[in-house]
Amino acid sequence: MNKKSKNTKSAKSRKEPKRTAKRSVTQAMSIAASGRKSVEERVAAMIEMPLAVGETDSDFQTVMNVLADKDNPVEVRLAALQTLQAASFSVASVESWRDDYITTLRSVAEDPDPELRQRVLGILAREKDGFTQKKLLEGLENPEKALVPPEKALQLLSYDVHAEAYPVAREIVENPPNTAAKVEALRLLAADADAAPVFEKILRDKEEAPNVRQMSAAALNAINPDKLQEHAREILLDNSEQEEVQATCLTALTQFGDEKAVSGDKALLRRVSRLSKKPSEQIKQSADQFLSKYADEGEE
Amino acid sequence: MHNAGEMAAMPEPQFAALVSSLAAAPAGREQLTEMLSENHPLYDQRGRAAIVRMRGWILLALSHAGVSDADLLFVLEELDTGADAYLVAAAARALRSYPVPSPDFAPFVIRAIANIRYHNEHVSFDNYGEYAVSSAGTSPVRELLATLVWLGPSARGVLHELESLRAHPGGFSRKLLNDVDKAVKAIRASEQVNEADVDKCCALPSSVGSMFAWKDGFRRKSESIESIVFEDHEGAQITFKEFFQGHPSIVVFFYTRCDNPLKCSLTITKLGRIQKLLEERNVAGQIYTAAITYDPAFDSPKRLRFYGQNRGVNLDSRHRMLRTTDGFNALRKQFKLGVNFIESLVNRHRIEAYILDAEGRIAASFERLQWDESRVVDCAVEMLKEKFEKTKSESPVKSTTSPIRRSKASPMLGALASVGVAFFPKCPICWIAYLSMFGIAGLEQIPYSPWLQPLFLAVMLINLASVWFRGRSIGQMKAFYLVATGALLIMLSKMGNGESAVAILGIALTFIGSVLSALSAYKGAKEAPSSV
Repeated sequence: MNKKSKNTKSAKSRKEPKRTAKRSVTQAMSIAASGRKSVEERVAAMIEMPLAVGETDSDFQTVMNVLADKDNPVEVRLAALQTLQAASFSVASVESWRDDYITTLRSVAEDPDPELRQRVLGILAREKDGFTQKKLLEGLENPEKALVPPEKALQLLSYDVHAEAYPVAREIVENPPNTAAKVEALRLLAADADAAPVFEKILRDKEEAPNVRQMSAAALNAINPDKLQEHAREILLDNSEQEEVQATCLTALTQFGDEKAVSGDKALLRRVSRLSKKPSEQIKQSADQFLSKYADEGEE
Repeated sequence: MHNAGEMAAMPEPQFAALVSSLAAAPAGREQLTEMLSENHPLYDQRGRAAIVRMRGWILLALSHAGVSDADLLFVLEELDTGADAYLVAAAARALRSYPVPSPDFAPFVIRAIANIRYHNEHVSFDNYGEYAVSSAGTSPVRELLATLVWLGPSARGVLHELESLRAHPGGFSRKLLNDVDKAVKAIRASEQVNEADVDKCCALPSSVGSMFAWKDGFRRKSESIESIVFEDHEGAQITFKEFFQGHPSIVVFFYTRCDNPLKCSLTITKLGRIQKLLEERNVAGQIYTAAITYDPAFDSPKRLRFYGQNRGVNLDSRHRMLRTTDGFNALRKQFKLGVNFIESLVNRHRIEAYILDAEGRIAASFERLQWDESRVVDCAVEMLKEKFEKTKSESPVKSTTSPIRRSKASPMLGALASVGVAFFPKCPICWIAYLSMFGIAGLEQIPYSPWLQPLFLAVMLINLASVWFRGRSIGQMKAFYLVATGALLIMLSKMGNGESAVAILGIALTFIGSVLSALSAYKGAKEAPSSV
């Protein structure tokens, strides 16, 4: 075989996989968009091609049409959403179709299918989309209009610290529809530094559920770490405290505590030493971590 | 007319109706412009998305009524630093309603295209608060390109940039290429028009100035905020008076949770560059810098320190990141800060940097548009000069407080002492001879005082030492050599037969050297501020 034919062959072999890939994308696209194929086939075809979608505007448009068309099975639409989402992270020319992508998502945000709706709202909320924030707030203020459960709405609104959700979150902390909603409302309020007294009150309230108090501890740590250290010390010294909350306090002091103050606090070290002998695995582990950091320093 | 409380509580539909009615009435235009200020009560306790809807609606109302000179700064600000698609699109549309296209608008438009093209999305201007759910509406990039078409020949300064974006893969969405080509064509029309016709109409009106300065007598006193306590990036506490008085300062406002990269993050980065310029001009020790957070409850010393250090800010006792421990509202009132809040969190703010004079009063401000670091430093250096001038003019009698006056007076005293040493009479007979001469002048009553000679000698030596110190500090020792030679000659004349020619030569050298020393020091002191 001469050199020329060798080169021709190698050039051919380099080209072939590309053509195959292109053909398979075209085929996959055609299967994914076809209403005559089975749901399984369409989902499989949609999932096959995520990174290739960005090659032409028409590819994007086809997938966006599949997503927006309510007549398509929801499984196929969810697969289309997954494909678009993956492409939005990986394709360099995403800005070419970003505007259409956002409007398509908005058009699906009120879809009857709750899973699709929730996932779309999640993507838009991460973009700090005003349309989505407005819909979520309307739903919190008027449950009949709610597109997602209140805890989910609060979670999505918390992606933007500048969202107008603080008054409604305060209201939910006062009158929560469920514990999950209260936890999410507290998480959202953690962005408001003036809310520190609310977190202090909940953290010290033994009647509150442990996960609500743990959330308050985390929020207080973000807003006023010194205050959390004060409360954490008192909670640890209190024999009647919930173990889950004590474990959180131990973790907070281990990770963010003032090393000099904590390692010099003999009463606290003695107390944690006793906690480390408790049967609860969670608190034992947290206490051991605490002691390995501070007890040695205290001895030095 | 609504009061502040009513404005703050006004539901959005009512606000939209108010804007429409104000835009329709000529008398309402001024109110619309006022409503664009960030610190307007309308924006108190609103979320950012609501503020975007509201400000966008005002800009659209202005685009129908026609943007005036008073509105222009707000429109350009949105193009300069805006990160929201709806607001940028509304600002681009509003700009097209300004009576005359100006080449000065073009850089704002092209910068807005560069900033927003990765966040481009469809927007709807049909009804208040409406969001696009189809591709039927417009988009910020489309509006900006239409504004370039409107600018036409006036945008020729940015043609190259536009063409580069056009040629760059991914520079523009493929759907927008037709709009880009229309803009390029409109701008290229400049080749067929008379350049003089394009230029003669076009300069930004004076109202668009984003820098404001107040002369000495017109500056607001800082007494009301002097006792405000700040905590710095190290957790140290200091009052406004302690940190900001006694020297000029450059102050910027920011907050660490700001998510617009063209605002707070860039402001702090530019503060770092300002510090480097101050160092280059050798005034970093005389002009202090401070970055004060809008969000004192959240921005702990640790957060402030990391934020500044990550953006190249040097932090020490003269250059600090600060948060108020109390009294932020007084500070907000004093500086008339362009900021508003939802709960404790900033919901909207403008870019703002201030130059404070040595009394802590606001002497100049740079607002809304991106400021040039050199210009800010120039302005602060002016304040330093003003401080020198004030010190000089306030202390004409107290020579000890004026370095320039002291440097001139002391050599003169030294030179006179040299004359005293040279011609001091050695004995009572010499004194009688002097007195016979003074008698002619009517000074015959002066008694003989031999203690004066060591005094003159001491003063002469002090003068010699002072000239040496001064010469060393300014790096010129010629004057010292002259004075030293003069002193040596005077001493020689006193030890010998009192050769008056040697003494006179000594006096002359001392005198010349002293004057030269004084003049060199004076020149050095005068040039110090202007050389920076």
